[in-house]
Amino acid sequence: MTTVVEKPLAPGIRNEPGGPSKAVLALALFESRRLLTRIPVLLAFAVYLGWTVWRAGRAWGDYPALQDADRATQNAPMLVGLAVLLSVNQAALRSRRHDTERHFAVLLLPHWCRTVAHALSVVAAALVTAVCVAGQFGWEALRPGAIGQGSVGELLVGPLTVLLSGLAGLLMAGLVRSVIAAPLLVVFGLFLFAFFSGTSDDASRWLLPAVVEATSNTLPSDLMGRPAGWHALYLAGLALTLGLVAVLVAGGRKPAVLAGTAGALAMTLVGGVAQSGGDSPQLVKARERATVHPEQVQSCVRRDGSTYCAFPEWGPRVGDWAAVVDRVRSLAGGGAHEQDVVVRQRVEARYGLSGDGALTPLERPHEVTVGTQWGGNRVPEFSAAVAGVLIAGDEKAATSICDARIIPLMWLAVGWASEPLDALRRVRLDDSITGSALVLQPTDGLSMTAAQTEVLRALLDLPRGEAGARVKDRWRELTAPKVTAARAAALLDLPAPDGEDKCL
Amino acid sequence: MPLTRQLVLPVHRTLPWGVVGMAGVAGLLLTALTRTGESAERLSAYLLRAAILAFAVGLAFLLDDPARHTTAAVPTPRPVRIALRVALAAPAAAAWWTAALLLVPPGVRPPVGDITLEAGAACVLAVTGAAAGVRFTEVARPGLPVAGGLLTTAVLVMLFWPGRWALFVPVEDERWAAAHDRWGVVLAGAVILGAVCAVEPLRRRVRF
Repeated sequence: MTTVVEKPLAPGIRNEPGGPSKAVLALALFESRRLLTRIPVLLAFAVYLGWTVWRAGRAWGDYPALQDADRATQNAPMLVGLAVLLSVNQAALRSRRHDTERHFAVLLLPHWCRTVAHALSVVAAALVTAVCVAGQFGWEALRPGAIGQGSVGELLVGPLTVLLSGLAGLLMAGLVRSVIAAPLLVVFGLFLFAFFSGTSDDASRWLLPAVVEATSNTLPSDLMGRPAGWHALYLAGLALTLGLVAVLVAGGRKPAVLAGTAGALAMTLVGGVAQSGGDSPQLVKARERATVHPEQVQSCVRRDGSTYCAFPEWGPRVGDWAAVVDRVRSLAGGGAHEQDVVVRQRVEARYGLSGDGALTPLERPHEVTVGTQWGGNRVPEFSAAVAGVLIAGDEKAATSICDARIIPLMWLAVGWASEPLDALRRVRLDDSITGSALVLQPTDGLSMTAAQTEVLRALLDLPRGEAGARVKDRWRELTAPKVTAARAAALLDLPAPDGEDKCL
Repeated sequence: MPLTRQLVLPVHRTLPWGVVGMAGVAGLLLTALTRTGESAERLSAYLLRAAILAFAVGLAFLLDDPARHTTAAVPTPRPVRIALRVALAAPAAAAWWTAALLLVPPGVRPPVGDITLEAGAACVLAVTGAAAGVRFTEVARPGLPVAGGLLTTAVLVMLFWPGRWALFVPVEDERWAAAHDRWGVVLAGAVILGAVCAVEPLRRRVRF
């Protein structure tokens, strides 16, 4: 006798727990890979990375302020954004272009799920951009001379711009089924990118993705007054709105999507309204205080008898300033060799980032101004200010020097540099090393006549030790008021100058 | 010749008028922006250039022909068919350009001859790109890649073109005249290249 044992058959279709979401994820992975290997996107990333690396290699940026470095990451990703816009639009219209739309009808995924997958591929591109931005900012932050702090809101703008433009391309594919729409959108975007990077001064400039400032003033990070966080919220809301509307247009009219769209729209509105609020009264007061009474917010340290007062974020810079002060003093003779100075950091913050007001010279004795930027030309400029205070007694008197005291002054300012002539060229307004010129300082400038320049050049041509000794020997006569260039040349045992010796 | 005359209507019907029209409308919208205020007036040369780019992107689709593989066997050679397409599009382009120029307020209009040279060079370059696409590939619609290439070229030229050979110069710049000599060279080069690319190769590349 036999028995037949029947086993239940496994069903042909299994309802997997993840169902369509797993398929959407698989499609999103495929679309991301495809999007990131399109020629325009690859080219845009290559240009973006090449440009960023080239800019990071410049000698000027050795002392970045991170509250400025975060903003420098914003513009270049727009290029990637435009490429992603074009490529996502092409990808979303691909099945239509190749007339394979009908074949998708037999698949598990409805049209709106495929749109979600495309949207996720844009997120992947934005994440790659975020990695690039993080790398760029991290590189700046790891420089030994970096100070201050960056803002997450500012750093998010780059990736969010890519997300925003990509989702705009996706929505465009849903609204206009023509291949020409995305290229035309790119032309509009290019025009905006080139000419309207938010340079105007009213609140409406915050409606654009990246808002650049007209000047390069560096402020303490609590006085920036840029609504970076709200702006990031606005951009995120706008991008989400575009993406969710694209899903709605593709037929995904689920309650969750509708609710999400409403939420994203609310986010956009909240961010958009909050970012256009303007400067708060507290901020205006804090800026006023930092400009007019910086001593109330600064902390001071003493080094070798001199006092260095800086805004809290600039504490690590004191060592660099002290090194310059030491070198300048080591070249000076007489009482100036031992003279202690007070280095006061100052900033004109009352007009915000877009204003670039000049600082007035200080009148307190032996107090010298240092700005908020450092490196490059800022070093010999500060050095000239220190030398001026050592010779004239205070900044106000130094800026009105109109005689050959400028020769020992400039010797102190550039004589210690490894390339004195290069330092001289950089500190003079017209980058010249002959003739008369204006010498830049953190506050008002100094002026040099042609004859004074000639004597100084002759002095710099001597061996450094020899020149230093001659200046120290004749220090009292050289720094006496009303000394002429011819007299200074005679004192220094240099040929008499034949240039004009009348100051401006 | 009578054969060509008979071709006019069918070719006219296969021309992508919708795409070119959309590009034209977008271009006119951009030029109309010059009438929106003083800051827009200052940008008039650039708005006009953006409009030219938009229209040129549209013209990149001019040689899209879904029936390409079925019409390969007609007795009229390809240069004639391409010339016919260009000849049909040329009056429309001229009309569009006139309208675009008239939309810019007369006071801020860049020198008409020079800016027309730029427009001509850009449009010819777009069609040349499309002809090259037809010449060197088997695709029936080379428009989209060519449009992408045109945009990429525009961006790269704007960013990296050396200032010595500047092409996009502001009106008041002293390099304006020299730049337009260069635009003339671009136009001539594009025309010659386009003529070369329009010729049908004797042999089709065989693919297995």
